[in-house]
Amino acid sequence: MNSRNLKAIKTALYASLFVVAAPMFGQIPRTADGKPDLSGIWQALNTANINLQDHLAQKGAPAGQSVVEGNEIPYQPWALAKKKDNYVNRAALDPENKCYLPGVPRITYIGLPFQIFQRPDLVTMLYEHAHANRFIYTNGAQHPKGPIDWWMGDSRGHWDGDTLVVDNVHFNDQTWFDHAGNFHSEDLHVVERYSLLDADHINYAVTIEDPKVFTRPWNINMVLYRHVEKNFQLLEYECYTFDLEQYYP
Amino acid sequence: MRFNSKLLVTALLCAGMIGSAIAAESAKNDKGAWPQHTPDGQPQVEGYWVTVVYGMGCLQNPRAGVGCLEEGEEPGRANRPKPPKAASRVVDTPDGEIPYQPWARTKQQYLLSNYFEPTRPEFLDPQQLCLPLGPVRQLTWHDVHILQYPGYVIFEHEGGHVFRLIPLDGRPHVGSDLKLWMGDSRGHWEGNTLVVEVTNNNSKGRLSRAGDFASDKLHVVERFEFLDANRMKYSAKFDDPSTYTRPWTFGFDMKRAIFAENNPTKDDAHYEQWEEACYEGLTPVDYSLRSDRDHK
Repeated sequence: MNSRNLKAIKTALYASLFVVAAPMFGQIPRTADGKPDLSGIWQALNTANINLQDHLAQKGAPAGQSVVEGNEIPYQPWALAKKKDNYVNRAALDPENKCYLPGVPRITYIGLPFQIFQRPDLVTMLYEHAHANRFIYTNGAQHPKGPIDWWMGDSRGHWDGDTLVVDNVHFNDQTWFDHAGNFHSEDLHVVERYSLLDADHINYAVTIEDPKVFTRPWNINMVLYRHVEKNFQLLEYECYTFDLEQYYP
Repeated sequence: MRFNSKLLVTALLCAGMIGSAIAAESAKNDKGAWPQHTPDGQPQVEGYWVTVVYGMGCLQNPRAGVGCLEEGEEPGRANRPKPPKAASRVVDTPDGEIPYQPWARTKQQYLLSNYFEPTRPEFLDPQQLCLPLGPVRQLTWHDVHILQYPGYVIFEHEGGHVFRLIPLDGRPHVGSDLKLWMGDSRGHWEGNTLVVEVTNNNSKGRLSRAGDFASDKLHVVERFEFLDANRMKYSAKFDDPSTYTRPWTFGFDMKRAIFAENNPTKDDAHYEQWEEACYEGLTPVDYSLRSDRDHK
Protein backbone atom coordinates (compact mmCIF):
# COMPACT_ATOMS: atom_id res chain seq x y z
CA MET A 1 0.00 0.00 0.00
CA ASN A 2 1.51 3.30 -1.03
CA SER A 3 1.56 6.32 1.19
CA ARG A 4 -1.15 8.13 -0.82
CA ASN A 5 -3.62 5.29 -0.29
CA LEU A 6 -2.69 5.11 3.36
CA LYS A 7 -3.35 8.82 3.71
CA ALA A 8 -6.73 8.45 1.98
CA ILE A 9 -7.69 5.62 4.33
CA LYS A 10 -6.60 7.66 7.34
CA THR A 11 -8.64 10.62 6.10
CA ALA A 12 -11.69 8.42 5.57
CA LEU A 13 -11.27 6.89 9.02
CA TYR A 14 -11.03 10.31 10.66
CA ALA A 15 -14.07 11.48 8.69
CA SER A 16 -16.12 8.47 9.74
CA LEU A 17 -14.98 8.92 13.30
CA PHE A 18 -16.21 12.50 13.19
CA VAL A 19 -19.59 11.50 11.78
CA VAL A 20 -20.09 8.84 14.43
CA ALA A 21 -18.71 10.88 17.29
CA ALA A 22 -20.30 14.21 16.43
CA PRO A 23 -23.61 13.59 18.22
CA MET A 24 -21.69 12.67 21.36
CA PHE A 25 -19.77 15.94 21.50
CA GLY A 26 -21.54 19.26 21.63
CA GLN A 27 -24.56 18.27 19.57
CA ILE A 28 -26.99 18.25 22.48
CA PRO A 29 -28.37 21.48 23.94
CA ARG A 30 -26.95 22.44 27.31
CA THR A 31 -28.03 24.78 30.07
CA ALA A 32 -25.84 27.58 31.43
CA ASP A 33 -24.44 25.21 34.05
CA GLY A 34 -23.35 22.74 31.39
CA LYS A 35 -25.98 20.07 32.02
CA PRO A 36 -27.88 18.55 29.08
CA ASP A 37 -30.96 20.73 28.54
CA LEU A 38 -34.05 18.53 28.61
CA SER A 39 -36.43 21.51 28.34
CA GLY A 40 -39.16 21.01 25.79
CA ILE A 41 -42.24 18.98 24.94
CA TRP A 42 -41.71 15.22 24.62
CA GLN A 43 -43.78 12.16 23.82
CA ALA A 44 -43.27 8.41 23.61
CA LEU A 45 -44.34 7.05 20.24
CA ASN A 46 -44.98 3.41 21.02
CA THR A 47 -47.67 1.06 22.31
CA ALA A 48 -46.16 0.41 25.75
CA ASN A 49 -49.30 1.73 27.45
CA ILE A 50 -51.26 -1.11 25.84
CA ASN A 51 -48.69 -3.74 26.78
CA LEU A 52 -45.05 -3.37 27.80
CA GLN A 53 -44.26 -6.74 26.22
CA ASP A 54 -44.55 -8.04 22.65
CA HIS A 55 -48.20 -8.01 21.63
CA LEU A 56 -50.32 -8.56 18.56
CA ALA A 57 -52.97 -6.13 17.41
CA GLN A 58 -56.48 -6.22 18.79
CA LYS A 59 -59.42 -3.99 17.98
CA GLY A 60 -58.40 -0.43 18.82
CA ALA A 61 -55.02 -1.60 20.12
CA PRO A 62 -52.16 -1.81 17.62
CA ALA A 63 -49.41 -4.39 17.78
CA GLY A 64 -46.11 -3.47 19.33
CA GLN A 65 -42.66 -4.71 20.19
CA SER A 66 -41.56 -5.16 23.76
CA VAL A 67 -39.94 -2.26 25.61
CA VAL A 68 -38.89 -4.68 28.36
CA GLU A 69 -35.32 -5.81 28.09
CA GLY A 70 -35.46 -9.52 27.26
CA ASN A 71 -39.28 -9.28 27.01
CA GLU A 72 -39.61 -11.04 30.36
CA ILE A 73 -41.09 -9.51 33.49
CA PRO A 74 -39.79 -11.70 36.33
CA TYR A 75 -42.94 -12.21 38.41
CA GLN A 76 -43.03 -14.39 41.47
CA PRO A 77 -45.41 -17.34 40.81
CA TRP A 78 -48.35 -15.88 42.77
CA ALA A 79 -47.85 -12.53 41.07
CA LEU A 80 -47.79 -14.06 37.60
CA ALA A 81 -51.15 -15.66 38.32
CA LYS A 82 -52.50 -12.30 39.42
CA LYS A 83 -51.11 -10.60 36.33
CA LYS A 84 -52.88 -13.14 34.14
CA ASP A 85 -56.11 -12.51 36.00
CA ASN A 86 -55.61 -8.78 35.61
CA TYR A 87 -55.17 -9.30 31.86
CA VAL A 88 -58.41 -11.22 31.51
CA ASN A 89 -60.31 -8.56 33.45
CA ARG A 90 -58.31 -5.57 32.21
CA ALA A 91 -61.25 -3.60 30.81
CA ALA A 92 -62.83 -3.44 34.26
CA LEU A 93 -59.71 -3.33 36.40
CA ASP A 94 -57.24 -1.06 34.60
CA PRO A 95 -56.87 1.97 36.91
CA GLU A 96 -56.51 4.21 33.85
CA ASN A 97 -60.13 3.44 33.00
CA LYS A 98 -61.07 4.78 36.45
CA CYS A 99 -59.18 8.01 35.68
CA TYR A 100 -56.75 7.51 38.54
CA LEU A 101 -53.33 9.14 38.27
CA PRO A 102 -51.27 6.57 36.35
CA GLY A 103 -48.07 6.49 38.44
CA VAL A 104 -44.48 6.33 37.24
CA PRO A 105 -43.27 5.30 34.69
CA ARG A 106 -46.69 4.82 33.01
CA ILE A 107 -47.32 8.59 32.90
CA THR A 108 -44.32 8.88 30.56
CA TYR A 109 -45.67 6.54 27.87
CA ILE A 110 -49.41 6.89 28.43
CA GLY A 111 -49.56 8.35 24.96
CA LEU A 112 -49.78 12.09 25.50
CA PRO A 113 -47.15 14.84 25.41
CA PHE A 114 -45.47 16.24 28.49
CA GLN A 115 -43.25 19.25 29.04
CA ILE A 116 -39.98 19.40 30.93
CA PHE A 117 -38.74 22.59 32.61
CA GLN A 118 -35.24 22.49 33.98
CA ARG A 119 -32.95 24.50 36.20
CA PRO A 120 -30.13 23.50 38.53
CA ASP A 121 -32.21 22.86 41.64
CA LEU A 122 -35.45 21.57 40.17
CA VAL A 123 -36.84 19.75 37.15
CA THR A 124 -40.59 20.17 36.65
CA MET A 125 -42.55 17.79 34.46
CA LEU A 126 -46.09 18.74 33.44
CA TYR A 127 -48.27 16.21 31.65
CA GLU A 128 -51.24 16.71 29.35
CA HIS A 129 -52.80 13.61 30.92
CA ALA A 130 -55.10 14.77 33.74
CA HIS A 131 -52.92 17.77 34.60
CA ALA A 132 -50.50 15.35 36.27
CA ASN A 133 -47.25 16.91 37.37
CA ARG A 134 -43.99 16.01 39.03
CA PHE A 135 -41.45 18.08 40.91
CA ILE A 136 -38.06 16.46 40.72
CA TYR A 137 -35.75 18.19 43.16
CA THR A 138 -32.11 18.08 42.08
CA ASN A 139 -30.86 20.10 45.06
CA GLY A 140 -29.78 17.15 47.16
CA ALA A 141 -33.10 16.94 49.03
CA GLN A 142 -33.84 13.40 50.17
CA HIS A 143 -37.08 11.42 50.02
CA PRO A 144 -39.36 12.27 52.94
CA LYS A 145 -39.62 9.59 55.57
CA GLY A 146 -42.31 7.09 54.66
CA PRO A 147 -44.45 5.24 54.47
CA ILE A 148 -46.46 7.48 52.14
CA ASP A 149 -48.87 6.13 49.54
CA TRP A 150 -48.86 8.61 46.70
CA TRP A 151 -50.21 7.85 43.23
CA MET A 152 -47.21 9.45 41.54
CA GLY A 153 -44.68 8.59 44.24
CA ASP A 154 -41.90 10.88 45.44
CA SER A 155 -39.22 11.85 42.93
CA ARG A 156 -35.67 12.99 43.70
CA GLY A 157 -33.10 13.56 40.96
CA HIS A 158 -29.40 13.91 40.43
CA TRP A 159 -27.09 14.10 37.44
CA ASP A 160 -24.86 11.14 36.65
CA GLY A 161 -22.64 12.67 33.97
CA ASP A 162 -25.02 13.65 31.18
CA THR A 163 -27.89 11.52 32.49
CA LEU A 164 -30.69 12.78 34.73
CA VAL A 165 -31.31 9.98 37.22
CA VAL A 166 -34.64 10.11 39.06
CA ASP A 167 -35.26 7.92 42.09
CA ASN A 168 -38.93 7.27 42.88
CA VAL A 169 -40.46 5.69 46.00
CA HIS A 170 -43.59 6.10 48.18
CA PHE A 171 -46.12 4.68 45.74
CA ASN A 172 -49.45 3.08 46.51
CA ASP A 173 -50.30 -0.37 45.11
CA GLN A 174 -53.20 0.83 42.99
CA THR A 175 -51.57 1.65 39.65
CA TRP A 176 -50.58 -0.62 36.77
CA PHE A 177 -47.66 -0.33 34.37
CA ASP A 178 -49.90 -0.83 31.32
CA HIS A 179 -53.35 -1.89 30.14
CA ALA A 180 -52.25 -5.55 30.14
CA GLY A 181 -52.38 -5.87 33.91
CA ASN A 182 -48.69 -5.58 34.78
CA PHE A 183 -48.71 -4.44 38.40
CA HIS A 184 -46.65 -3.78 41.50
CA SER A 185 -46.95 -3.40 45.27
CA GLU A 186 -46.46 -0.35 47.50
CA ASP A 187 -42.80 -1.38 47.76
CA LEU A 188 -42.22 -0.28 44.17
CA HIS A 189 -38.90 1.45 43.56
CA VAL A 190 -38.45 3.08 40.15
CA VAL A 191 -35.19 4.52 38.84
CA GLU A 192 -35.52 6.53 35.63
CA ARG A 193 -32.58 7.62 33.48
CA TYR A 194 -33.10 10.43 30.95
CA SER A 195 -30.22 10.75 28.45
CA LEU A 196 -30.28 13.02 25.39
CA LEU A 197 -29.27 11.10 22.26
CA ASP A 198 -29.30 14.32 20.25
CA ALA A 199 -31.27 17.56 20.41
CA ASP A 200 -34.61 15.89 19.72
CA HIS A 201 -34.41 12.41 21.25
CA ILE A 202 -34.16 11.18 24.84
CA ASN A 203 -33.21 7.65 25.72
CA TYR A 204 -35.55 6.74 28.57
CA ALA A 205 -34.32 3.81 30.63
CA VAL A 206 -36.17 2.59 33.71
CA THR A 207 -35.30 0.02 36.34
CA ILE A 208 -38.23 -1.51 38.24
CA GLU A 209 -37.66 -3.09 41.62
CA ASP A 210 -40.29 -4.58 43.89
CA PRO A 211 -39.21 -7.57 46.00
CA LYS A 212 -42.81 -8.33 46.97
CA VAL A 213 -43.82 -8.96 43.34
CA PHE A 214 -40.73 -9.68 41.22
CA THR A 215 -37.84 -12.10 41.61
CA ARG A 216 -35.29 -9.51 40.42
CA PRO A 217 -35.13 -5.95 39.09
CA TRP A 218 -36.05 -5.54 35.41
CA ASN A 219 -35.61 -2.83 32.82
CA ILE A 220 -37.65 -0.79 30.38
CA ASN A 221 -36.04 1.09 27.52
CA MET A 222 -37.60 3.43 24.96
CA VAL A 223 -37.00 6.68 23.08
CA LEU A 224 -38.87 9.93 23.76
CA TYR A 225 -39.36 12.31 20.82
CA ARG A 226 -39.32 16.09 20.94
CA HIS A 227 -42.28 17.96 19.48
CA VAL A 228 -40.81 20.44 17.00
CA GLU A 229 -44.05 21.70 15.46
CA LYS A 230 -44.36 25.49 15.54
CA ASN A 231 -46.43 26.72 18.50
CA PHE A 232 -47.07 23.17 19.73
CA GLN A 233 -48.33 23.27 23.30
CA LEU A 234 -49.89 21.05 25.91
CA LEU A 235 -53.68 20.95 25.81
CA GLU A 236 -55.90 19.13 28.33
CA TYR A 237 -56.94 15.55 28.76
CA GLU A 238 -59.28 15.57 31.72
CA CYS A 239 -60.32 12.01 32.29
CA TYR A 240 -64.02 11.39 32.95
CA THR A 241 -65.73 8.30 34.22
CA PHE A 242 -69.07 9.81 33.25
CA ASP A 243 -70.56 11.31 30.13
CA LEU A 244 -69.34 14.89 30.19
CA GLU A 245 -71.85 16.11 27.65
CA GLN A 246 -74.68 14.69 29.73
CA TYR A 247 -73.40 16.38 32.86
CA TYR A 248 -72.12 19.67 31.47
CA PRO A 249 -73.38 20.16 27.91
CA MET B 1 -15.53 76.98 24.41
CA ARG B 2 -17.93 75.76 21.74
CA PHE B 3 -19.70 72.41 21.89
CA ASN B 4 -20.52 70.18 18.99
CA SER B 5 -24.19 69.67 19.81
CA LYS B 6 -24.48 66.39 17.84
CA LEU B 7 -21.45 65.03 19.63
CA LEU B 8 -22.86 66.13 22.97
CA VAL B 9 -26.24 64.50 22.29
CA THR B 10 -24.55 61.30 21.16
CA ALA B 11 -22.32 61.31 24.24
CA LEU B 12 -25.28 61.88 26.54
CA LEU B 13 -27.29 59.14 24.84
CA CYS B 14 -24.38 56.73 25.19
CA ALA B 15 -23.90 57.73 28.80
CA GLY B 16 -27.61 57.27 29.40
CA MET B 17 -27.66 53.84 27.78
CA ILE B 18 -24.61 52.75 29.72
CA GLY B 19 -26.09 54.20 32.89
CA SER B 20 -29.38 52.36 32.34
CA ALA B 21 -27.55 49.15 31.62
CA ILE B 22 -25.48 49.55 34.79
CA ALA B 23 -28.60 50.36 36.80
CA ALA B 24 -30.44 47.33 35.43
CA GLU B 25 -27.46 45.08 36.11
CA SER B 26 -27.06 46.59 39.55
CA ALA B 27 -30.74 45.95 40.32
CA LYS B 28 -30.36 42.35 39.22
CA ASN B 29 -27.31 41.88 41.40
CA ASP B 30 -28.58 43.72 44.45
CA LYS B 31 -29.60 40.94 46.79
CA GLY B 32 -31.30 43.36 49.16
CA ALA B 33 -33.57 45.07 46.66
CA TRP B 34 -37.06 43.89 45.84
CA PRO B 35 -37.73 42.51 43.39
CA GLN B 36 -34.79 40.49 42.29
CA HIS B 37 -35.01 39.21 38.73
CA THR B 38 -34.84 35.82 37.07
CA PRO B 39 -32.11 35.23 34.47
CA ASP B 40 -34.63 36.07 31.72
CA GLY B 41 -35.53 39.37 33.40
CA GLN B 42 -38.82 38.52 35.15
CA PRO B 43 -39.43 39.98 38.61
CA GLN B 44 -38.69 37.11 40.98
CA VAL B 45 -42.03 36.20 42.59
CA GLU B 46 -41.67 32.45 43.02
CA GLY B 47 -43.16 30.70 45.97
CA TYR B 48 -46.45 29.70 47.54
CA TRP B 49 -49.33 32.19 47.50
CA VAL B 50 -52.82 32.09 48.97
CA THR B 51 -55.85 34.37 49.17
CA VAL B 52 -55.88 36.67 52.21
CA VAL B 53 -59.58 35.89 52.72
CA TYR B 54 -60.15 32.20 52.14
CA GLY B 55 -63.43 30.75 50.90
CA MET B 56 -65.56 30.29 47.80
CA GLY B 57 -69.10 29.89 49.13
CA CYS B 58 -70.13 33.10 47.39
CA LEU B 59 -68.40 36.08 45.86
CA GLN B 60 -70.18 38.75 47.90
CA ASN B 61 -68.85 37.52 51.26
CA PRO B 62 -66.19 34.85 50.65
CA ARG B 63 -66.03 33.95 54.35
CA ALA B 64 -69.70 32.98 54.38
CA GLY B 65 -71.19 29.65 53.38
CA VAL B 66 -72.60 28.54 50.06
CA GLY B 67 -74.71 31.31 48.56
CA CYS B 68 -73.64 33.65 51.42
CA LEU B 69 -75.79 31.65 53.85
CA GLU B 70 -74.84 32.19 57.46
CA GLU B 71 -75.10 30.33 60.74
CA GLY B 72 -77.88 27.83 60.79
CA GLU B 73 -78.98 28.54 57.23
CA GLU B 74 -76.77 26.05 55.44
CA PRO B 75 -78.18 22.51 55.38
CA GLY B 76 -76.00 20.11 57.35
CA ARG B 77 -73.86 22.82 58.93
CA ALA B 78 -76.14 24.10 61.68
CA ASN B 79 -73.47 24.97 64.23
CA ARG B 80 -71.01 26.80 62.06
CA PRO B 81 -69.99 30.07 63.70
CA LYS B 82 -71.09 33.21 61.92
CA PRO B 83 -68.20 34.42 59.77
CA PRO B 84 -67.09 38.04 59.80
CA LYS B 85 -68.07 40.09 56.78
CA ALA B 86 -65.42 40.20 54.04
CA ALA B 87 -65.27 42.41 50.97
CA SER B 88 -67.08 41.26 47.85
CA ARG B 89 -64.85 39.79 45.17
CA VAL B 90 -66.92 41.67 42.60
CA VAL B 91 -64.91 44.85 43.00
CA ASP B 92 -66.24 47.29 40.42
CA THR B 93 -70.02 47.21 40.61
CA PRO B 94 -71.91 49.48 43.03
CA ASP B 95 -73.65 46.63 44.84
CA GLY B 96 -70.85 44.06 44.71
CA GLU B 97 -73.00 41.83 42.50
CA ILE B 98 -72.19 40.27 39.14
CA PRO B 99 -74.06 42.25 36.43
CA TYR B 100 -75.93 39.26 35.05
CA GLN B 101 -78.41 39.59 32.21
CA PRO B 102 -81.88 38.64 33.53
CA TRP B 103 -81.82 35.11 32.04
CA ALA B 104 -78.34 34.53 33.47
CA ARG B 105 -79.37 35.71 36.96
CA THR B 106 -82.29 33.26 36.81
CA LYS B 107 -79.92 30.44 35.85
CA GLN B 108 -77.48 31.32 38.65
CA GLN B 109 -80.29 31.28 41.23
CA TYR B 110 -81.57 27.99 39.82
CA LEU B 111 -78.13 26.37 40.13
CA LEU B 112 -77.73 27.74 43.66
CA SER B 113 -81.14 26.51 44.79
CA ASN B 114 -80.20 23.00 43.65
CA TYR B 115 -76.72 22.99 45.20
CA PHE B 116 -77.47 21.08 48.38
CA GLU B 117 -79.76 18.41 47.02
CA PRO B 118 -78.81 17.95 43.38
CA THR B 119 -81.31 15.90 41.42
CA ARG B 120 -79.71 16.26 38.00
CA PRO B 121 -76.08 15.89 36.89
CA GLU B 122 -75.71 19.51 35.82
CA PHE B 123 -76.56 20.68 39.35
CA LEU B 124 -73.29 19.22 40.63
CA ASP B 125 -70.63 21.88 40.94
CA PRO B 126 -67.73 20.39 38.93
CA GLN B 127 -65.56 21.12 41.94
CA GLN B 128 -67.41 18.34 43.76
CA LEU B 129 -66.15 16.00 41.04
CA CYS B 130 -62.58 17.28 41.43
CA LEU B 131 -62.58 18.79 37.96
CA PRO B 132 -60.53 21.93 37.27
CA LEU B 133 -62.19 25.07 38.59
CA GLY B 134 -61.18 27.36 35.75
CA PRO B 135 -58.28 29.83 35.74
CA VAL B 136 -59.74 32.36 38.22
CA ARG B 137 -61.63 30.31 40.82
CA GLN B 138 -58.74 27.85 41.01
CA LEU B 139 -56.71 30.67 42.60
CA THR B 140 -59.22 30.80 45.47
CA TRP B 141 -58.80 27.12 46.41
CA HIS B 142 -55.82 26.09 48.54
CA ASP B 143 -52.34 27.40 47.73
CA VAL B 144 -50.80 28.11 44.38
CA HIS B 145 -47.13 27.47 43.79
CA ILE B 146 -45.82 30.06 41.34
CA LEU B 147 -42.79 28.84 39.41
CA GLN B 148 -40.77 30.80 36.89
CA TYR B 149 -38.74 29.29 34.09
CA PRO B 150 -37.29 31.16 31.09
CA GLY B 151 -40.23 32.34 29.00
CA TYR B 152 -42.86 30.86 31.31
CA VAL B 153 -44.76 31.38 34.51
CA ILE B 154 -46.29 28.18 35.91
CA PHE B 155 -49.13 28.01 38.42
CA GLU B 156 -49.16 24.71 40.23
CA HIS B 157 -52.36 24.59 42.24
CA GLU B 158 -52.45 22.41 45.30
CA GLY B 159 -56.19 21.77 44.89
CA GLY B 160 -56.62 18.71 42.68
CA HIS B 161 -53.06 18.93 41.24
CA VAL B 162 -54.11 21.29 38.44
CA PHE B 163 -51.50 23.42 36.71
CA ARG B 164 -51.66 26.41 34.38
CA LEU B 165 -48.90 27.24 31.93
CA ILE B 166 -48.45 30.90 30.97
CA PRO B 167 -46.09 31.45 28.02
CA LEU B 168 -44.52 34.92 27.91
CA ASP B 169 -43.25 34.81 24.32
CA GLY B 170 -46.26 36.40 22.65
CA ARG B 171 -47.25 33.33 20.67
CA PRO B 172 -50.82 33.27 19.29
CA HIS B 173 -53.65 31.57 21.19
CA VAL B 174 -54.72 28.10 20.13
CA GLY B 175 -57.66 27.76 17.74
CA SER B 176 -60.91 29.24 18.98
CA ASP B 177 -62.72 25.88 18.89
CA LEU B 178 -60.37 24.46 21.53
CA LYS B 179 -62.24 25.18 24.75
CA LEU B 180 -60.26 24.26 27.84
CA TRP B 181 -61.08 23.92 31.54
CA MET B 182 -58.15 26.18 32.46
CA GLY B 183 -58.37 28.32 29.32
CA ASP B 184 -55.42 29.35 27.18
CA SER B 185 -53.14 31.88 28.88
CA ARG B 186 -50.68 34.37 27.38
CA GLY B 187 -48.76 36.66 29.71
CA HIS B 188 -46.36 39.54 29.82
CA TRP B 189 -44.80 41.65 32.55
CA GLU B 190 -45.59 45.36 33.00
CA GLY B 191 -43.08 46.31 35.68
CA ASN B 192 -43.97 44.15 38.69
CA THR B 193 -47.40 43.26 37.31
CA LEU B 194 -47.98 40.04 35.43
CA VAL B 195 -50.73 40.62 32.86
CA VAL B 196 -52.40 37.47 31.52
CA GLU B 197 -55.01 37.21 28.77
CA VAL B 198 -57.09 34.05 29.09
CA THR B 199 -59.16 32.89 26.13
CA ASN B 200 -60.52 29.48 25.03
CA ASN B 201 -62.38 29.04 28.35
CA ASN B 202 -64.85 26.17 28.34
CA SER B 203 -66.38 27.84 31.42
CA LYS B 204 -67.67 24.49 32.69
CA GLY B 205 -66.13 25.35 36.04
CA ARG B 206 -68.17 27.80 38.11
CA LEU B 207 -66.93 31.00 39.75
CA SER B 208 -68.08 30.10 43.27
CA ARG B 209 -70.26 27.52 45.03
CA ALA B 210 -73.27 29.79 44.52
CA GLY B 211 -73.96 28.92 40.90
CA ASP B 212 -72.01 31.87 39.50
CA PHE B 213 -70.93 31.22 35.96
CA ALA B 214 -69.71 32.57 32.61
CA SER B 215 -70.15 31.27 29.07
CA ASP B 216 -67.52 29.82 26.76
CA LYS B 217 -67.37 33.23 25.06
CA LEU B 218 -65.64 34.59 28.16
CA HIS B 219 -62.53 36.72 27.70
CA VAL B 220 -60.45 37.40 30.82
CA VAL B 221 -57.60 39.83 31.43
CA GLU B 222 -55.85 39.16 34.73
CA ARG B 223 -53.46 41.47 36.53
CA PHE B 224 -51.19 40.02 39.22
CA GLU B 225 -49.80 43.18 40.82
CA PHE B 226 -46.95 42.23 43.13
CA LEU B 227 -46.73 45.00 45.76
CA ASP B 228 -43.73 43.68 47.66
CA ALA B 229 -42.13 40.37 48.54
CA ASN B 230 -45.22 39.11 50.39
CA ARG B 231 -48.29 40.89 48.99
CA MET B 232 -50.06 40.69 45.66
CA LYS B 233 -53.23 42.36 44.37
CA TYR B 234 -55.18 40.24 41.92
CA SER B 235 -57.87 41.30 39.49
CA ALA B 236 -59.55 39.58 36.56
CA LYS B 237 -61.69 41.55 34.15
CA PHE B 238 -64.56 39.38 32.92
CA ASP B 239 -65.86 40.30 29.48
CA ASP B 240 -68.73 38.13 28.26
CA PRO B 241 -71.50 40.11 26.50
CA SER B 242 -73.56 36.94 26.10
CA THR B 243 -73.98 36.64 29.90
CA TYR B 244 -73.37 40.01 31.58
CA THR B 245 -74.75 43.50 30.94
CA ARG B 246 -71.24 44.93 31.10
CA PRO B 247 -67.67 43.81 31.88
CA TRP B 248 -66.92 43.40 35.58
CA THR B 249 -63.89 42.65 37.72
CA PHE B 250 -63.25 39.66 40.00
CA GLY B 251 -60.61 40.81 42.49
CA PHE B 252 -58.98 39.85 45.77
CA ASP B 253 -55.73 40.18 47.69
CA MET B 254 -53.19 37.39 47.94
CA LYS B 255 -50.29 36.90 50.29
CA ARG B 256 -47.25 34.73 50.40
CA ALA B 257 -48.17 31.60 52.32
CA ILE B 258 -46.08 31.44 55.47
CA PHE B 259 -45.91 27.84 56.57
CA ALA B 260 -43.36 28.36 59.34
CA GLU B 261 -46.10 29.73 61.60
CA ASN B 262 -47.26 26.17 62.25
CA ASN B 263 -44.03 24.41 61.46
CA PRO B 264 -41.74 23.45 64.34
CA THR B 265 -38.68 23.72 62.09
CA LYS B 266 -39.62 27.32 61.24
CA ASP B 267 -38.22 26.60 57.83
CA ASP B 268 -40.20 27.77 54.82
CA ALA B 269 -37.29 27.40 52.42
CA HIS B 270 -37.71 23.64 52.36
CA TYR B 271 -41.49 23.53 52.06
CA GLU B 272 -42.66 21.33 49.20
CA GLN B 273 -46.12 21.02 47.70
CA TRP B 274 -47.13 17.38 47.89
CA GLU B 275 -49.65 15.36 45.97
CA GLU B 276 -53.30 16.16 46.55
CA ALA B 277 -55.08 13.55 44.50
CA CYS B 278 -58.75 14.53 44.53
CA TYR B 279 -60.37 12.53 41.76
CA GLU B 280 -58.85 9.24 42.87
CA GLY B 281 -61.08 7.24 45.15
CA LEU B 282 -63.96 9.63 44.78
CA THR B 283 -67.37 8.10 45.37
CA PRO B 284 -68.86 7.45 41.92
CA VAL B 285 -70.58 10.64 40.97
CA ASP B 286 -74.00 9.13 40.29
CA TYR B 287 -74.36 8.46 43.99
CA SER B 288 -74.15 12.17 44.64
CA LEU B 289 -77.47 12.67 42.95
CA ARG B 290 -80.44 12.85 45.27
CA SER B 291 -82.64 11.15 42.70
CA ASP B 292 -80.28 8.24 42.15
CA ARG B 293 -81.96 6.08 44.79
CA ASP B 294 -85.37 6.84 43.35
CA HIS B 295 -84.30 5.71 39.89
CA LYS B 296 -83.24 2.26 41.06
